[in-house]
Amino acid sequence: MSRMPIAKGHFRSAVRIFGLGTVLLACSFSSGAADSSVRLQLDVSKAGPRAVESETEQVILRDYRFAWTSIAQALEVNTLDPLEGPFVGIAKKELEDRILNQRRTGLSSRYVDQNHKVQAVFYAPEGDVIELHDTAEYQLQIMDGNKSIHVERVVAHYVVLMNPAADRWVIRQLQAVSQF
Amino acid sequence: MWTRNICIVGVLSLAGVGVAQELRVPASVTAGEETAISTTGNGKATFYLLGPGLANKSEVSLGEEIHLRSQDLRNAGDYLAILCAETCRSSSFYVTAAQPAGLSFLVHPSRVPAGMGEAVSGVALPFDQFHNLVLDPVTVNFQLTAGNASLLSRAVRTQNGVAWFRTNSGKSAGKLQIVATLGAVSSSRAVQQVAADPCNLRIKGLRTPKGIVVETDPVRDCSGNPVPDGTIVTFSAAGADGRSTVDAPIKQGVARAQIEASGPQVISVASGVVMGNELRVGGQP
Repeated sequence: MSRMPIAKGHFRSAVRIFGLGTVLLACSFSSGAADSSVRLQLDVSKAGPRAVESETEQVILRDYRFAWTSIAQALEVNTLDPLEGPFVGIAKKELEDRILNQRRTGLSSRYVDQNHKVQAVFYAPEGDVIELHDTAEYQLQIMDGNKSIHVERVVAHYVVLMNPAADRWVIRQLQAVSQF
Repeated sequence: MWTRNICIVGVLSLAGVGVAQELRVPASVTAGEETAISTTGNGKATFYLLGPGLANKSEVSLGEEIHLRSQDLRNAGDYLAILCAETCRSSSFYVTAAQPAGLSFLVHPSRVPAGMGEAVSGVALPFDQFHNLVLDPVTVNFQLTAGNASLLSRAVRTQNGVAWFRTNSGKSAGKLQIVATLGAVSSSRAVQQVAADPCNLRIKGLRTPKGIVVETDPVRDCSGNPVPDGTIVTFSAAGADGRSTVDAPIKQGVARAQIEASGPQVISVASGVVMGNELRVGGQP
């Protein structure tokens, strides 16, 4: 088996192509098309009047993170399926309406690189409703067809009401506010 | 992170920052109210408005106001306005909840023993007519009445859109009416108060040719409420020939049982975790 020597010019070209490829690859990853990760911290230390049990804390953490994964999926590809389960009531209706309107107008929204700092501020005496304050950071990309019309790093504040359902906690209210 | 920044800068560069058209959004809008966005520049542009439940796209003339309809601004939350001509400009604004028009009122439990401490609780959340949670503090009045007696009247200021109370149940069995009022809006719930555990459970006995007939006094809780018929009372008899137990339901306020035993017996009574008096009955003559 023999090896062919590589000419200097070819080597430089290969390095350039490799470098360009690396940058493009990094851009495509960081632009978030494949980045659906949702980082979430939940602080229940200030919740009251009922203290949040550790099992409940873990389930809320799981279900709230899943809800945001579902929002990202639903609004990116304009499908209603991911909303089945994590959302009920007005929160579900608002998301459904948004998706139906996005379909109609050819728009889509991407929520990329999500980081949520969530604090439980109220937990009902009988444990049937919890209010969360979520300071969410993400990159928001709005697309009109294939054209990007808006890219922004967003810091948003959400007031969230969750209720326990048969096998999970569901979001009943997801309301953005200017500040807490 | 640096690659992301490079990409964002790249996108912004491609978008051509620094072009003519501008848009000015209102600082804040109340849900269900119409408003307008002013624009500068010349020519045609595409206007996008995205918000909770909303994703609109329309052609507009730069330099003219863009009218936002009240029905497009019913949901509280953040709205993003984007104006695209050769390049795109954006701005965001918040829609806040309107005046309270309804109360979501959760009360627990639906059935409660009388005279129990911190046993009844309620949570009220004010919503506007579009189902937005009203986060500005408002005062909710909670009133608890049993029959004609007022058990509680408390004004509670909402915090983070929630007002709540917790209190003792009333002394007497029957319907407990709980009303939450916010201005002209009210919501009512009913809790059934039932007798608590029996109190001062006492029995009397009589030897008969067939054995011993034991009977309770009318069974009441510590507030004097008759314990419901069907509640099980357990009679236990202990004698030289062993121990026997009879369960009997309360009927018309009294539980009654016949114990077949010929020798002297010590009879005790219990209902749930409550013990009554002991009764000593002599043997058959």
